[in-house]
Order: sequence, then structure tokens, then C-alpha cells
Amino acid sequence: MLTPTVWDASLFHASPQLAVSGEFVLRLIIDGLMIGIIYALMAIGLTLIFSVLNIVSFAHGEFYMLGGYIVYFFLQTFEALPPLLSIVAAAIVTFAVGFLFERIFLQPMARGEVERPNEYAILVTFGLAFFLQFLMLGLVGPFPKKAHRLFDLPQIEGTFFRTTKATLFLGDITISAGRLFAALIALLALAGLLWFMYRTWTGRALQAVSQDRNAAAVVGINPLNMNTLAFSMGAMLAGLAGAVLVTVYSWVPWVGVPASSKSFVIIVLGGMGSIPGSLLGGLIIGVVESLGTGLFPDPARAQAYRDVFGLVIFALVLLLRPTGLFGRKL
Amino acid sequence: MRRSAQLNTQYQARYTLWGLAALGVLILLIFPLLFRQQPYWLYIASQALFYAILASSWALLAGYNGQFSFAHMAFMGLATYASGILGRETGFLAFDLSPWVSIPLGVLFTGFVGLVIGYLCLRLRKTYLALFTIAFAEITRLVIKAEVKFTGGPNGLPLKPLLESTSYVPVYYLMVALFLGTLLAMYVLVRSRYGLYFQAVREDEDAAAALGVNVVNTRILAFVVSSMIAGLAGAVFHHFPTVGLVVPDEMIIGRMSLVLAMAIIGGSNSLIAAALGAIFIHFSLEWLQEIPLPAAILRTLEAHRATLESLGFGLGENGLKTNAWRMVGFGMLLMVTLRFRQNGLIAPLLERLSRRHVIQEIAARRRAREEEEIEVSDEPNEQVGGAS
Amino acid sequence: MKLEVKRIVKNFGGLQALKGVSFTIDSPQLVGLIGPNGAGKTTLTNIITGMLAPTSGEIWLNGERIDGMRPYAIARRGLGRTFQVTRAFRRLTVMENMLVPALARNPRADRHAMEQKAREILAFLTLDHLTNEYARSLSGGQQKLLELGRLLMLDPQIIILDEPFAGVHPRLQRTIYDYIRRVREAGKAIILISHDMESIFTLSERLMVLNFGELIADGPPDEVRRMPEVIDAYLGRDEEEETEHA
Repeated sequence: MLTPTVWDASLFHASPQLAVSGEFVLRLIIDGLMIGIIYALMAIGLTLIFSVLNIVSFAHGEFYMLGGYIVYFFLQTFEALPPLLSIVAAAIVTFAVGFLFERIFLQPMARGEVERPNEYAILVTFGLAFFLQFLMLGLVGPFPKKAHRLFDLPQIEGTFFRTTKATLFLGDITISAGRLFAALIALLALAGLLWFMYRTWTGRALQAVSQDRNAAAVVGINPLNMNTLAFSMGAMLAGLAGAVLVTVYSWVPWVGVPASSKSFVIIVLGGMGSIPGSLLGGLIIGVVESLGTGLFPDPARAQAYRDVFGLVIFALVLLLRPTGLFGRKL
Repeated sequence: MRRSAQLNTQYQARYTLWGLAALGVLILLIFPLLFRQQPYWLYIASQALFYAILASSWALLAGYNGQFSFAHMAFMGLATYASGILGRETGFLAFDLSPWVSIPLGVLFTGFVGLVIGYLCLRLRKTYLALFTIAFAEITRLVIKAEVKFTGGPNGLPLKPLLESTSYVPVYYLMVALFLGTLLAMYVLVRSRYGLYFQAVREDEDAAAALGVNVVNTRILAFVVSSMIAGLAGAVFHHFPTVGLVVPDEMIIGRMSLVLAMAIIGGSNSLIAAALGAIFIHFSLEWLQEIPLPAAILRTLEAHRATLESLGFGLGENGLKTNAWRMVGFGMLLMVTLRFRQNGLIAPLLERLSRRHVIQEIAARRRAREEEEIEVSDEPNEQVGGAS
Repeated sequence: MKLEVKRIVKNFGGLQALKGVSFTIDSPQLVGLIGPNGAGKTTLTNIITGMLAPTSGEIWLNGERIDGMRPYAIARRGLGRTFQVTRAFRRLTVMENMLVPALARNPRADRHAMEQKAREILAFLTLDHLTNEYARSLSGGQQKLLELGRLLMLDPQIIILDEPFAGVHPRLQRTIYDYIRRVREAGKAIILISHDMESIFTLSERLMVLNFGELIADGPPDEVRRMPEVIDAYLGRDEEEETEHA
């Protein structure tokens, strides 16, 4: 090994410019936690769809992608309006798209009009993903877009705690305002969701259907309507996740592909589809991904491998507990 | 009387099918004569055949064996990369092999990976298998993209030319030979007892096992054969002097969806229907890239060029460029096909042609049976989706 | 032929579904297997045919230990079964359904001879007019008959029939009845699981009663039906019901 290649060197020795400090790790963890909340939001949407309709939506990432683009265009078009409205718009549009798709393509399956329903559910949601990806490619083109952060931070001057417009400083730790707001909005959405699921009749009806369709039908809940609601809400949650992250990451029409696989990993990690489990799973994935990328010895490849980490975990879990992804057979 | 009439329709059906097959082969063979002045369409035709091989080999795995794998393009890419790396002159694992050697080695390598992945997939049912193969395909693509030293990274890996001549004609004929060869091989396979095992396992694994079918071997065989054929198509196609480069983005899930959609729209429980679907769709997409329009209309459209371009359309010299929009329409076609013609658009036609005499015969015999005795009031089982 | 089931135990979590079941079948005979719902009949069938692994115990077929073998290997050694729910290969034709086990058992079999044999069986089962029809266009009862015919194509020595009469039209039930008789006369051993007491007592030469995972009786049907523990566990109640219905 007289002339080790760059690859060899970088694999076995941490590069000197990346001397790992405590602050650096802490920053990575905080970043990961903030992104993790958003991932969790998306994963909860997928769980909701699965537990009520008993299908896996392969178009989940595309709703995420759609939500992001709607915010981007809203901010571009209506500069005068309050930026928070863009998030609301993303929620409404993704809900509506989910609603239409469920009514037209999934409802016949629930009514038993489709042969080989397992196969159909995979393929038709995949078809939707394909359709939405190229629809956005047609509308916005392949070049990455990124929305500006929704708000500026108020200026605070302190010794330990201080801010600029775009950054919050806690001692030596920096937190980007974009991520901070994204996480806060996601938390808000999460609180709203919890209230809906546990405190309203409709939310409880959704839970009832997910536990026992027939019993729910007996007490007067129409399971077909619950299907539509669950799918639309699931789509909306993915849309919200995209809506807040478009200010953090840059956006292309296929940005949903790795995002949806993250949702799958989270569900695997987080207690078989429970909401608290998904939250925990989301936080874990956020932190693991952030640390994995930040501490990977070769920064050039780190970005590329960011998505590989999650996928490898996902593939392994599928192999090790093939019927355990949602705790149900498919 | 009736019997001879039946035989007659039976032979008619058989002749019609063979006649159509012969016509198809003939069209493939004389295609270059028809497009002598437009080598571009010859290139498109060889591309169409490349997709036809991919779609029909996917149909072998998904349609016949019920394994809805999304890793097909990954296998295509693996064989191509393996062949390219073994064939290059410098770098890691560079043996400077001739494509005639490196392609078979690449295909063997892919067969081996297919064996491993097929084995890992054994315990996975439909949705989980789809998820796992997506994960595998993405991991493969991302690693190939990241490992620039080994693979050339996002810029791709150059491949040695398989043929000296840079004319499109020999490329086309080689692709025709590959297409007919693989199709014939797969046809023989599905007509053999393995074809029966494939389908029995697709229908009901436990029942097949209880009847002595080795489910493990059957599923792995389908996986390996279909991966190797995808790999072969990929490696040969990319080694053409007219192509000469493979990039990781050819393995994206979006491209996989294209192949899947071709097979589904054609009909994934028929090899030939899937292949025809691919050929038809590839040509349509090519044609839609720039829809030819009369000059008058073009001049009118010219006034709205900015609007059109902001909507993702474009204006070419002879027509309207549809860019991504043709794929949007195609995605819609996929969903609508699934919803209303789940067995595809071409497969049911072929089925009707080949089974016409059988359907008549069954109807006649059912009638005869009814005359003999009072029919049992035993309701037919759920019969969703029509006769095919 | 010899099938030996030795001290089979099966636990599902904390639940003991089979508590040490043993019996031997060493001649062509028709063995009825009865027991209340949840007694473990289907679990036992699944274990004998390799679909489930026993927690402990052994199964021997013709001097070869078969527990731990995969289902297809057991089937190829001549042990066939049907399922409680019909499981015809719906998108294969009736003839293709018949050929699968024939070719799986003997890959070098002459296909034409096999087709001929299949036609004879189909004629007996009154399915001959549907030879080229897809299995999914058959009625539920016809699919059940097809499964029985398919089983014969495996050329098994011992077959286990799991509720062959359930949900079948009376006229087709008669065909199944004849089928069982003929298979028995052809020198095969049959384990017949059924809730239909009339057919069980008419057909069985030996009767086994499974209750809560235990074999509580095994002997000639007339003796078994008089055993007090059997009447307690199962038969008594059932006969009362039958008289009520009559």
C-alpha cells in the first residue's frame, strides 16, 4: 500500500478537516430531531392509510413532493399574502388530490369490483406516483427549486442566546431558522392531528374502522367514507411534510422517492403503526441520518450515502420480519 | 358435423396466430428497408426492442410467477456495469475484455445477484416484495452513482463497441435476433412444465407445494431467468457503438415504472403482449416528442410560444414538443388500464384469438350437458373481470 | 404403506393445540377423524403434510422420517391433501390444474399419457366438459371436485381430505362420496376429516376422535361411538341436534 487511493484513505481514517467536536455532534442531533418530526408526520400519514384501507400507498412520496411545490409556487405568486397560507394551500390541494384518487381508483377495490386487489393496489398507486412525477416535471421542469424560509427570526442579542435573521445561536451551537420553523409547523400539525384523532367523533370513527371494519359498520360508520377520509388525510400529512421541508431542501419532481422510503423505515422502527411509535421512529431516523451524513469520512460521498443508510435498514427489517412491517399480513 | 366444424375453427385459430407471428417477424426483418432514409427511426426501433425484451422478461417474473419486482432495471444496469468494468482498459477490475466475453460474464454475474435477491425475496409476499425490490434497486443505483472510482459515477461508464460499424442497420438486426431469441426461449420455458409451476405458485403457493411443486426452486428460477434476460438486453444494447455509455440514472425507479407500465398496458400475463406493449408505447412516445403539425397551425402557436413554454411544452421546426407531458398522458393511461382493463389492452385480444375455438367448444359441451340432465343450481363462483 | 405419527405436540404461544398425538396407519383403510371445532384437526393435517413444524414429536412415512421436510418433498413421497377452503389454481385451465401434480411428481412422465389419465378422472368427476375451461369459471362445488381430481394426479398412497363435503351441493356431494369409495377400493389410505356424521359413519372403517389436542378415541366406529368420553366430548350433543333437526 505505497500509494493508497483516496477511497482507501477516506474509508479508514477520518479526514483531518472533520475533527469531530462535541458541538458539531450536538448540532447534528438537533438538526436530526427537527427533521425527524417532519418525517414522523409523513409516516403517520402512511400508517393512517394502511390501517384503514389495508394497502400501502406507493404514491406517498409524491404527495410530499406535491406539497412542497405548492408552497414554492404560492410564495412566488402571492408575495403579498401571509406565507403561512402557503402551507394551508398545500394541505388543501394534497387532500383534494388524495380524495379524487381514492374515489376514482381505490373505492372500486373496496367494493370488491377489482380482480387481484393486492396487485392492483400496488400498481395503481405506483401509477399515480408516475403520473404525479411527470405532471410536476411538465409544470416546473427538472431544475431544483428551493423556497425561501417563511419568516425571519426576530433580532435578539444575548451572550449565550442570540439570533440573526436566518440563524439561532445557542452558545456555539447554530440552528437554522428554516429548519426551526419547519419543525414548529410540523409540531403544530401533529398537535392538530392528535386532537382530531382522539377528540372528535370522526377521528374515533377512523380508529374504529382501522380496528374492526365490520363492527364499525354495524354502529353506523360508513367504511367507504372512512377509506376516502383516511387516504385524503394521509396524503395531506405527506403534503404538509413536503410543504415545510421545501424551505430546507431543494426540490425536484422525484424528491418523493427517498422520502417515502424513509416513511417505511420509520413505521418499521416505530411500534407497528402507532402514532407515538411513528413519532419516535421519525426522530430516530432524523438523528441517525444526520449523524451518519455528518460523520461519514468522505463528505463528497456522504450526501450520496445519506439515503442509502435508511434503505439498508429498511431492506434488512423487511427481510428479518417479513410480515411485521405494520404488524399485519399483506 | 359439429365436430368437423370445431376442428375447422381450431385450425383457423392456429393458422391465424401463426400467420400473425410470421407477419410480425417479417415486419421486423424488412423494417430497415422501409426506413432506409431515416436511420433515426432504426435507432428508435432497436431501442423499442430493448424495452420489449425488458417488458416481456418482467412479465415472465410478475405475470407468470406473481413476483412484482421493481428491481428489473437494476439487474439490467448491473449486467451492463459489470460488463463495462470488465471490459475497460484501466481502473479497478479492468481486464480489457472483449464485449463478446464481458457481456456473458456480466450476465452470469447478474444471474448470481438475481439468485441471491430471489432467495431473499422468498418469504416476502406481494407488497413487501415490491418494497424490498425498490429498496434494493435504489441502493444499487445510489452506490453506483456514489462510487465514482469504480463506476464513473453520475457521468456514466463508457462501454466498448460491440460492432465495428457505426451504421444503425447491423445494430438493429442484432437487436431483432436478441429479441426473437429471448422471446422464443421464454416461450419454450413457459410452455414447459416450469411454466405450469410458475403459474401454480403464482395462484397459490401452499396448494402448489401440497401437490409436489418445489416452490423455492420455482420462484428462484423465475427470478434468475428474468434477471439474466434483463441483464443480457442491457449489456448488449449499451455496448452498441451507437450507445456506448451507461449512466446510473437509467436505473431510477421512474424508468422502472416505464417498463412496468409497458408490460401492464400490453398485458403482463402474456410475454408477447408485454413485448408488443413496449414496442407500441416506445414508438408512440417517440412520435409524441414532437407531434407533427401543419405550418399554419404552427405559426398560430408561435404567437403563444411563451405560454406554451411556461407550461412545459415547446415548439420545434415541424411540430409541438410535448416533453414531459407525453409521460403524464402515459401515466394516466396506465392507471385507467389498470382500473378498467386489468389484463392489459393487447393480451385479451391475443387470448380471444387463440382460445376462440376452445370457448365455442366449452359452450357447446355445456349445452349438451344441460340437455342430458337438469343442471345443478350450483352458482358459479365470483367471476370478476370478464372472460380472459 | 405406513404412516406413523408419534407424540406430536404443537404450541402456539401459550396455547397447546396438540398434546402428544400418536397413531399409525399401515394398511389401506378409511380413517375418519372427527372432533369439535378447534380440536386441532387442521393443525394436525398441516403438521403431517409439512406446512407447520411440530413443537416436538416425529412423523415417519414408509420408514423415513418426514417431519422437517418441506411440503413438496412430503407430497412427492405420496402423501396428498386437500384444503378446507377450495384452492384451485384459478387462472389455469382444468387440464393444467391436473397436470401440475402429475409433472411435479414425475417430471419425465409422458404428457399425453398424463392428459389421458386426467381425462378419465375428469369424466368420473363429471368435469370432462370443462377440460379447457379456466378453473375460476367453475362453480364452488366443481372447484372442489377439481381439487379432488388433481390430488389423484399426484398418485398418492395416503390422502387427507379436509372437510370435502362442506358447502357442496347435494348432487356433487354424491359424486364426492363415490370418489372416496373408489379411491379406497384402489388401495389407498384415506384420512377423512368431516363434520358430516352420516358420511363419517357410513364410510369409516376406523374412527379417531380429537378433543382439545388429544386423541381420546381410536378404533372401530361402532365401538368409538359408544365410548362415554366421546359422547361427553362431542358425539352426544351432536346426535341430539341431529334428532332435533329430523
